[in-house]
Amino acid sequence: MAAESLEARLAAFVGIEAEPPRTARYAVNEAMIRNWVEAHDDANPVYVDRAAAEETGRPGIVCPPAMISTWVMAGYRRHREIHRMRAEGVVEDFAYSRLSRLLDEAGYTSVVATNVDQTYPRDVRPGDRVTAHITIEAISGVKNTALGQGRFLTLRKRYHDADGELLADERFRLLRFKPGGGAEDDEEREGRA
Amino acid sequence: MNAFGVSTGTELPPLDIALDRTMIVAAAIASQDFEDVHHDPGKARERGTPDIFLSINSTNGLLNRYVTDWAGPGSRITATSLRLGVPAFPGDTLRFTGTVGEAAPGEVTLSITGSNARGAHVTATVTVAPTAEPDTGARRGETT
Repeated sequence: MAAESLEARLAAFVGIEAEPPRTARYAVNEAMIRNWVEAHDDANPVYVDRAAAEETGRPGIVCPPAMISTWVMAGYRRHREIHRMRAEGVVEDFAYSRLSRLLDEAGYTSVVATNVDQTYPRDVRPGDRVTAHITIEAISGVKNTALGQGRFLTLRKRYHDADGELLADERFRLLRFKPGGGAEDDEEREGRA
Repeated sequence: MNAFGVSTGTELPPLDIALDRTMIVAAAIASQDFEDVHHDPGKARERGTPDIFLSINSTNGLLNRYVTDWAGPGSRITATSLRLGVPAFPGDTLRFTGTVGEAAPGEVTLSITGSNARGAHVTATVTVAPTAEPDTGARRGETT
């Protein structure tokens, strides 16, 4: 009975907006791009050297495509707040927070990202203000994975600049799973966070 | 003539990337990803993995690097589709290998694998195209 109820409650999240549109806290900028390319030891000069970027026909330096999601990340302070609220069982009033709570309660407390599909209609450049619209596209049934029993979530993320021009279209798939192999029943995991 | 002057089946030179704890943490933080599984070994174990592991965005970043190391600065990645397999931990060496799949006139699609000793960490297809306006001397302001 509990499982049926969970399925129905999960199904209600499919197709809806995950959270309000996320607008970057700051414009795309050279400092964060440089930190990124150093951390990945990427020697492509178009990310850091204006002259080299212009030589390729670009108006100036550009952002590594894989960095698109970085611009709309919530930041350290907000990250800590979200985790504190999650530990205290506080549920914020948007769909993804409620869905996350539901999955926590069902024992799917661990998360691992599994797939990213992205298209990039144009280069992202310093000065761009990125906004992401995120919808919950799919929630799978229970799957037995190498990590344990889990459910796959697919999020659709569309990133636009301040004028509404599409910068990236993404499908992000993640697995919410029960840590420790997932052999237990839902009930045994309840309360763990 | 295909983009980049290559044909289907052309192999990219392999690239070995030695991962250590500092790099995994630096890359996660550079992407503003503060999830504990990418920097806190104790929390990572609680969550069911033996150690911290490379974030999916960092894997994507290393794919960017591998592709443009080969295609050059005058290229632009237009699409990436990646699937993670086994996790990548500190101490692993990730070996990237790639093959040219479709080689259309304006772009090429690459099939790429990044593997460690336990198997494929990532399998991906990445589409890359030359930038629209290659070097025309604009660098010195010779054109308007």
